[in-house]
Amino acid sequence: MIETGTCTGDSISFDNIWTPTFSDILSNILDWRYDWSMNQAQGSAAYQVLLDTYSKLPNEYILIVQGSMIHSDSGHYDHVAYEQGKLITGIDLVRRIGLKAKYVVAIGSCAAFGGPVAGYPNPTRSTGVQDVLPERRVINVSGCPAHPDWIMGTLLHLALYGEPELEKYGRPKMFYGETIHNRCPRRYYYDQGIFATDIGQKECLYRVGCKGPVTYADCPIRRWNDRLNWPIGCNTPCIGCTEPGYPDLMSPFTVHSPDIPLPGGTKIATDSVALGVLGFTSAAIIGHAAASLYKGRIQRNLLKSTVRGKHRFSLTKVKTFHTYRVKKNAKKE
Amino acid sequence: MKKKNNLRKPFFEELQQGNVEGEIILFQPLWVRIFHWGFALSLTGILLSGLELHKPAKFFAVSYGDMFKIHVISSWFALGFVALRCADAILRRDQSLIPKLRDLKLFPKLLAYYLFLRTAPPPNRKYNGGQSLVYSSWLLLFLIASLLGLSSYWQGEHLIWVWRLVGGFQRLRWIKFMITIYFLATIPLHIYLSMTENLSHLQAMVSGYERKPPPKKS
Repeated sequence: MIETGTCTGDSISFDNIWTPTFSDILSNILDWRYDWSMNQAQGSAAYQVLLDTYSKLPNEYILIVQGSMIHSDSGHYDHVAYEQGKLITGIDLVRRIGLKAKYVVAIGSCAAFGGPVAGYPNPTRSTGVQDVLPERRVINVSGCPAHPDWIMGTLLHLALYGEPELEKYGRPKMFYGETIHNRCPRRYYYDQGIFATDIGQKECLYRVGCKGPVTYADCPIRRWNDRLNWPIGCNTPCIGCTEPGYPDLMSPFTVHSPDIPLPGGTKIATDSVALGVLGFTSAAIIGHAAASLYKGRIQRNLLKSTVRGKHRFSLTKVKTFHTYRVKKNAKKE
Repeated sequence: MKKKNNLRKPFFEELQQGNVEGEIILFQPLWVRIFHWGFALSLTGILLSGLELHKPAKFFAVSYGDMFKIHVISSWFALGFVALRCADAILRRDQSLIPKLRDLKLFPKLLAYYLFLRTAPPPNRKYNGGQSLVYSSWLLLFLIASLLGLSSYWQGEHLIWVWRLVGGFQRLRWIKFMITIYFLATIPLHIYLSMTENLSHLQAMVSGYERKPPPKKS
C-alpha cells in the first residue's frame, strides 16, 4: 500500500475489520508487503521491500493506493520515499509501481476521486489515482473512509475470482450497486412524505440534506463498527462520502444542492440563486407592467389587437337544445 | 342522435365576407395548438412535482411515490408533445421556432422597444427575435433535462456517459434544478407579454385564427 495525500483514515478503518480480524489477514490470508501504518521496519529497509516486490514479482502483486494524487509543483508537495539521494513524489511512485501491478486498487474517496484533498479551491491540484494511470483500469473503493468490508471484499475477490464487476465509476458493483435511498430503512417515511425537520429526529432526513438518493453504497444493510450502527441510524443525514465530487458537491451537508463557487473563494447557495432569479423576474414584470400602463402601451396594444368588426355576431337558440346558427338578420342589427 | 354543429361554417363565411377589418388567417394550425396546451399542462406537472420532490413543502404531506409518478408521467407526456411538434414542423417545413441571424440582428431593437426606447417593435417573422430565442431555448433545455432525467431514472444502468459527462448525480440534479428555474423565470414573462402585447396571438392559440394581414413570405 502506498499512502499519498491522505489522513490515513482508510488504514484506521481497515484495522477495525471484523471478521476476519486484521491479524488474521496479515498472518493467514494475504501477504501484506508494504504499509506505512503497519511496517515493523522503517526507512530504507522498509522501502526495499516495496522495491523488491516491484522488481521480483511483476504483474503478480496488487497495488493499493490510499490518498489523492498531488500534482502541484510537479508533485513535490507530497514526498513518499527517499531513493538514491532523491525525494520521490507520490505520483511518480504510484505510476512506477502501478504500471507493473496486476491490479491497482484505490481505497478511500481521496484515492478514488480526489476527495476532501481536492476540495475547492484545490491548491494542490489533487486528483484520483486513475488520472495518473490512464492506461490502467483502477478499481475504486471509495468512501471517507472506505468500509473495511469493501476493502477486504474487493481484495479477496481479486485474489480468488479476479476483477469484480464494476459500476460506472469503477467501483465494485457488489458494494456500490444501489443507492442508500433505495435500501434505507426510513424509506417508508419518504414515500409517505413524512420528513424530519431537524437533525436528530427519527423520520426521513431528506429535508435536512440527506444525500442518500444520490449516493451509491450498501451502508443501510452493512452498517459500520461491526454492523452496530450507521449515520442514519444515529439520526444524522448521509453526507454522500462515496460519490465523486465529495465533499464540494455534497456540501453544505444540511441542504440538497451544492453551493456554487464564485470567483474570490466565496460560495452562494443554489436556493438563493433561484430565489434571486425569480425575484428579479417578478420585479421586472411588475415594473414593466406599471411602466406600460403609465405610458399607455398596454391600452394601445389591447385596442390594436382587438379591433371591433363592422358588426357583432349574435346567436340565437333554435329548434333543439344545443343547436345554434347565425341570425339571418344579423346584418340589419 | 347527435346533431352536427352548424355554427362554425357560417361563422367563418361571415368573417371571410369582409365583415371585419383586416384578413382572417390561420395563424396556429391544430397540431401547434395541441402541442402548446398539452405541453403547457404537462410542463406544469413536471415543474410543480419536481419542486416538491426537490424540497418537500412543510404544509403538504403527500405520498412521494405518487409525486414521483406524476413527475415521470408528465415528463413522458411532455416528450410526446415535443415529438408531435417536431414532426409537425418537419412535415410543414415550419422554421418559425428556429432563430435566424436576422432575429439576432433585430434583437437589440426589440429590447429597445421593451425598454421603452422605441415606440414600435421591429418587423418580425411569425415570432419576434425574443420569442424565437426563448422558445428554441425551451426546446433545447427541455431535451437536455429529459436526457438528464432519464439517466437519473435509470440510476446509472443506462446512459452512463451522461453521468460521466456532467460529473455525477449531484451535479446532474443541480443542472436540472437550474433548468427548472430558467423555465420558472421565463414562463411568467411569456404569459405577461402574450397578454399585453397582442391579444389576437393568444386568441389564435385557442381558435387557430387571427385577424391580421398575412405574414410576408421570407
